[in-house]
Amino acid sequence: MAEATVKEAVIEKEPFFGKKEKKLLTDPLNDNNPITVQVLGICSALAVTSLVYPSIVMAIAVTLVVAFSNLFTSMLRTYIPKQVRMIVQLVIIATLVTVVELILKAFNYAIWKQLSVFIGLIITNCIVMGRLEAFAMANKPWRSFLDGIGNGLGYGGILVIIAIIRELFGKGTLFAGSPAAMNIIGPSNEITKYWINTASDHGVGAWFGSWYLNNNLMVLSSASIFIIGIIIWIHRSVNKKLVDIS
Amino acid sequence: MDFINIFIKSAFIENMILAYFLGMCSYLAVSKSIKTAFGLGLAVIFVLGITIPINWLINEYLLGENGIFHTDLTFLRFILFIAVIASMVQLVEMVIEKFSPALYTSLGIFLPLITVNCAILGGSLFMVSREYNFTQSVAFGLGGGFGWFLAIVAIAAIREKMRYSQVPAPLRGLGMAFILTGLMGIAFMSLMGIDPAALAGK
Amino acid sequence: MHNTRYTLIFTLILTIVSATILSLLFFGTKDRADLAAKIFEKRAILSSVNTLLDKDVSKMTDQEVLDVFNNQVQEEAVDTKGNQIEQSQILAAGYKGGLPEDIDMAKERKKPEDQRMYPVYVFDNKGEKVYILSIRGNGLWDEIWGNVAVKNDFNTIVGASFDHKGETPGLGAEIKDNPAFSAKFRGKELYNDQGNYISVQVVKGGVKDPPHQIDAISGATITSNGVSEMMFRGIKEYEAYFNKQKG
Repeated sequence: MAEATVKEAVIEKEPFFGKKEKKLLTDPLNDNNPITVQVLGICSALAVTSLVYPSIVMAIAVTLVVAFSNLFTSMLRTYIPKQVRMIVQLVIIATLVTVVELILKAFNYAIWKQLSVFIGLIITNCIVMGRLEAFAMANKPWRSFLDGIGNGLGYGGILVIIAIIRELFGKGTLFAGSPAAMNIIGPSNEITKYWINTASDHGVGAWFGSWYLNNNLMVLSSASIFIIGIIIWIHRSVNKKLVDIS
Repeated sequence: MDFINIFIKSAFIENMILAYFLGMCSYLAVSKSIKTAFGLGLAVIFVLGITIPINWLINEYLLGENGIFHTDLTFLRFILFIAVIASMVQLVEMVIEKFSPALYTSLGIFLPLITVNCAILGGSLFMVSREYNFTQSVAFGLGGGFGWFLAIVAIAAIREKMRYSQVPAPLRGLGMAFILTGLMGIAFMSLMGIDPAALAGK
Repeated sequence: MHNTRYTLIFTLILTIVSATILSLLFFGTKDRADLAAKIFEKRAILSSVNTLLDKDVSKMTDQEVLDVFNNQVQEEAVDTKGNQIEQSQILAAGYKGGLPEDIDMAKERKKPEDQRMYPVYVFDNKGEKVYILSIRGNGLWDEIWGNVAVKNDFNTIVGASFDHKGETPGLGAEIKDNPAFSAKFRGKELYNDQGNYISVQVVKGGVKDPPHQIDAISGATITSNGVSEMMFRGIKEYEAYFNKQKG
């Protein structure tokens, strides 16, 4: 218990949402992005990104799990026995993930079906564990919570970018399966079905129709990994300090 | 025949890394040299081969409606699975340390990493969603582990050679590893032409 | 450092707390989740008669799906000899609820043929009956299944919908994801001019027999073959029922 008293003795006077807190939120979006820089949490990132809608749900789920597991671990950090630290963290994460799964199953069954095992895999998503170890075990609850939100969004952002590219070029739609489903480009006998109807004989659609076909490579899971590779390439060309020297 | 069938399917055709990209974190982090990749790959085969059958037993006899409690306890699945995995990894670590210090020194550092390897939990969750029986889950565990091993050793070998290539600076390291994995994934897709049923029939 | 007793107590409390939270949430959401699962199935069944509905199934709310199902659909269960199966028999087979919709096709497939039971959903299309049949087979990786709606001449297909457990996205999974695939089944016929049962086949490299063939999905030969096999065998098992209904 000695550690706890020492830490509490140093009462830091900090604003509720100051510069440091803002940095916690924005850093993971660029300089310290979980996917492209920290290389964490790629597993579940790839398999769900063929459509935008499930990716958004996944991004929200991961953000909530990282934020709340960070919060709870940080609250318990002085009480967690060192020997079973990892198990305790895993139990907290697994509980939160089960909560997310049960809620999804009851309120959005179709998405639950689509995400299937990948909801469970949030448990072993390295971002969650990584943030607990690197941040929550050493920081106060509120800041850990913000760090979780920031990392969740940094992760979700990449997920959604990949999904937009894959769905748009692979299927010609966006947000398919959601109430906001949009058909962007594709052939149809009904003129109004697609924004750019490649089956029409006039306008932009006619021009597209002469050469455009949906790219089936984008639907394969390998596409997501190419896209991440290219995102990393672009990210590091812009942000030179991230270049791998080894 | 079912055993061979599922082994081949999970090792080559539905490869954990190249078809589902499970366990990518450790796959990318530990694939810089063949030697370490080999060690981690072996450890994964080992742990997958043990945890999937154990989790099968738990899922069948503890959590299911036909289990000892006669209630649907599936909401405890994630917690129990991850607890089994964590404790198995610990146990394996202790056993190896005691009986084969040589193996321990080569595997030791990777073992704790394995608990949070998506491929391990993913294997157990796939086993549930595909409704395998006990023998099938043993085959799936070993086959999945072998496929993972194969993929990480292959990428490590390629990455060792890549060191002598002129890769554009921003793509060096991580970026190139991703693109290589994608290419390997596509290459492995050609194995989809194998019909395991026909293979087992012969 | 904490001692072992502290560690044990801490772990115990944590486990109890999380198990309690989860069990409360699980039993609290169970009814809703079960209903959601049923609505999901019903949506799939209705999507085979999508063209006959006033509103696209995918745009219907849950309540609308249930309403259509309650007002326009009558469920029956039949065996391979075409006899009606009573609720008590469905219950005896281990399906809680005892409704034809509770029948698990995956389990039925594993039984010997003479013990199987199948659901039939009789859809009332403004006075004209449309029969929706459930079929199930094997794709490349795992099971595939579907619902096929047949006109009351027991020959013309009105529509079909398919689903799968684990086909490859972009290839085999197109049977579900690409509405153009299931749309191709519309208007196809089960019997040829001589009255022989040939069902509908999914073929590669050009359709030669338009009433009974549709184009395969490129790159998904095994899944396409699976659909052909399922269309042939699955519907054949309803043949006795067809004959009984025709009288």
